Amino acid sequence: MASSPCNSYSEPPIIEQVITEFFAKSLHIILESRSPYASSRNHSVDHFISSPSSSSSSSSSRPRDKWFNLALRDCPAALENFDLWRKSILEPLVIDVLLVHRSSASNATRLSPGGCLLRNFSGKDRFPMSPRMEELETKSDKTIERWVIQYESRKESCFGREVYSGSRKSTAASSHSSEIPTLYKKTYKRTIVMLRSLYVFVKLLPAYKIFQELNSSGRICPLSLSHRITPFVEPFTRAEDAEMNQFSFVPIDTPCGRLSLTVSYLPALEDKSSEPSTPLSTQFIMDYVGGPTTDPLKMFQSVRSAGPLPHFVSITRQHSWSNDHGFMRSGSPSPSPTYSDSQAMHCDPNVRFPPHHLHDQSPSASSVLHNASVAHKKNTSCEDYLSSSPFSPMSSPSAPTPNAFLRSESAPVNIPSPRRGRNSGLLNQALPPSSPKPQRPGCSPRTDTLRAQITTPSASQTCSPEGKLRTKKEPLRSGDFETVISLAKLQALSFGKDEVGSLPGLKCSSPHIPFSTSSSRLSLLDEFDDSEFACPFADDEDITESCNRVKLSEGKDQINENSESRGLVPVQRSPDAAVGALVQMLKTAPPLRQDLSKSVRSSQVFRGDFWNPRLQHNECMEAEVERSESPASNSGITASGLFKPRTTADALEELRIYKEMKEWLLKKGGSKSLGDSHKDKPACGGGGLEEKS
Amino acid sequence: MNCETCQLKELVVEPLEIRDVLRCILHTIVFHRALGLVRPKDVDCELFDITYVQCGDAELERKIDEKINLFIGWVEKHPNKKSQVCLSFYEVRNKQATWMFSNKTERLYWEQWYINLHVVNTKTHGKSHNSKAPINPGDNALEESSSRRASLESALREVLFQIIKFVNEKKDHIPSVTNSEVISFPYEITTPR
Repeated sequence: MASSPCNSYSEPPIIEQVITEFFAKSLHIILESRSPYASSRNHSVDHFISSPSSSSSSSSSRPRDKWFNLALRDCPAALENFDLWRKSILEPLVIDVLLVHRSSASNATRLSPGGCLLRNFSGKDRFPMSPRMEELETKSDKTIERWVIQYESRKESCFGREVYSGSRKSTAASSHSSEIPTLYKKTYKRTIVMLRSLYVFVKLLPAYKIFQELNSSGRICPLSLSHRITPFVEPFTRAEDAEMNQFSFVPIDTPCGRLSLTVSYLPALEDKSSEPSTPLSTQFIMDYVGGPTTDPLKMFQSVRSAGPLPHFVSITRQHSWSNDHGFMRSGSPSPSPTYSDSQAMHCDPNVRFPPHHLHDQSPSASSVLHNASVAHKKNTSCEDYLSSSPFSPMSSPSAPTPNAFLRSESAPVNIPSPRRGRNSGLLNQALPPSSPKPQRPGCSPRTDTLRAQITTPSASQTCSPEGKLRTKKEPLRSGDFETVISLAKLQALSFGKDEVGSLPGLKCSSPHIPFSTSSSRLSLLDEFDDSEFACPFADDEDITESCNRVKLSEGKDQINENSESRGLVPVQRSPDAAVGALVQMLKTAPPLRQDLSKSVRSSQVFRGDFWNPRLQHNECMEAEVERSESPASNSGITASGLFKPRTTADALEELRIYKEMKEWLLKKGGSKSLGDSHKDKPACGGGGLEEKS
Repeated sequence: MNCETCQLKELVVEPLEIRDVLRCILHTIVFHRALGLVRPKDVDCELFDITYVQCGDAELERKIDEKINLFIGWVEKHPNKKSQVCLSFYEVRNKQATWMFSNKTERLYWEQWYINLHVVNTKTHGKSHNSKAPINPGDNALEESSSRRASLESALREVLFQIIKFVNEKKDHIPSVTNSEVISFPYEITTPR
């Protein structure tokens, strides 16, 4: 720009250029963040119009980008309008940002991109308004921001004036001219900082949020942003002025004037945007598809995740029945690979009774949830439940409720009821069945009898293989012990599904225990010899099955015959039940030494009970008893003391085992006459059993 | 040359918000002091509805993130404490060497920004352990969290305005630009140790 008289702007040219470019850059920054769709999306469009002021930088594609070291994106709206203001920098540049509410979509399409309303009040209608635009004027638009960029020249002591007017003054001019670069640099640096601030500031105002939303939505919205550029400031109404906040950037002093930038803005815009911006509060979706409320199968899973592991789940895990649903499946004793929780159950028998537990606990899935530590308690509770539950192991195989319940818990699994019944019975070793089994009429009385017989050695004599016991006296003492041990072991190993594996004697590893086990088994065998007897902890079939297994394992003909005669079911049923019963026994077993001594004592007692009334060779048997009693007496543990820490179920189980052993021994000896005499209760061994019962 | 110091308003932040807050503030300050040719990059905060500006310099971004990580590490060791992160701009001046072997440089700080943060872990402080159903305390916690975050956003916006105001008010102390780099002046970010 050519120098002008002192009355007009008389900034040095370079300063004037800075001022001019400052206007342009400010407009560019503002419109870039306020003119939707008009910001630099199309980099190919270069609306830059070279001007004399920027001739020095015309070589670059974007010379104006280098001004103030701020390279901006293209903004056609800004570039188009700036030329209007190139002529005079003394006129302020007023940019009104409007929030336009369009009443009809058709009008919106006729708008320029971004809804830019251009008004040129410079006197020349370069952009005559179209009728459509006139119609738009009637639409509601609200000024939400007003930017005023202004240069105010000083009329007083203009430095530039002195520079150029005093060019003839050599020393003064040289001194002043030398300061121009300094002034220029200083001014330029300040404008750079101010424009940096402006660039940051425009993005902090509320209108920028609307700009972002309009840009991101990419659709025609009823609301839009537009701008209006005027060379003068239209005063706000009082109401509008009261709503507006003002912010003024620190003016930049130039040699001959001052650059100022101010903004009036609405601090809080109403929700003018087309889309709500308030985030929804997070909510728990309870009724989602596949959720616990819609999918009962997943009830346990969800409940499990909400709290401690359910007892039900914990029970099942040990036997690989556990899965994500927490329901049981009959089958393999191996733990489920999918279940990685450390809460392992230890109540194997309870695995078979989840429906019982659940039924007992609560009909809802949440009631099933218990801590894994409760599993131990469930052992006893299971037994108690079974003792009182209408669903008994001896009930009919077609127990619909548990099965149905189980199915609800584990849809793809179908647990056959007989197995469960058997398992149930076997697991509750000493509990009598609540109802007689059809195959064995009179089981319940048998159960009671068995219970009673637990306390009396004679009770164990009801087993059919009693005779076998009689035939073995001395051998039974040592060799029979070993035999019984082997029997017990074989039971545990070979009778996978048979609850016989849960011999009480197996709880203790002492060799004496099998002796007691054998005694109890013998007595139990006596009991089971009659079909009337119903094993408290298993079906009769199971009991007989266990007996048969013992016999089969030993390879005794009598055992085999017995098993064949009874028509027992295959021994392949419920291997987990046997393991579970064994585990239960082990867990409920008293301490080893105590058990050992007690078991020894009890075995001696039982033996005495077994043998005294039955033995044809009473002398031998008595001798046996005496000899067996001697270590027991030395131990000082009474038979009653044996059962104190143990439950009735354990005692009954022992009795059963003793009976089985007895039966085997009797059969081995070839004598069957002990069966009748076993029913009598001997005087000496009965006390303990009686106490127990 | 005076060293202008600006103490920014204290912000109460959670550990997860530290990164976003510090990035916003540090980049905003540096952007005002990056007087070289800058192609600004608009960045939206992750946790707040605030858009701040970066210089677009990868090295700057890396350094800032590195310092933020150091600060976060310090916060983890010193939880629930008030701390400061200091951004300093300095000039390097060579001392006149009395001897040819002694050529020391010194830093003349001409501007320091103190970002005051009060890191609070609401999980250990504000949460109340109750025996109610899990849904109810979750809703309350969400409401509290959202309100707290909204207030933090407002406070952060005020801090940015404070920066803009300070930058505009104090310009005379800025040294001359002697290079064409994006970051015109050497800077230093100091975190607690």
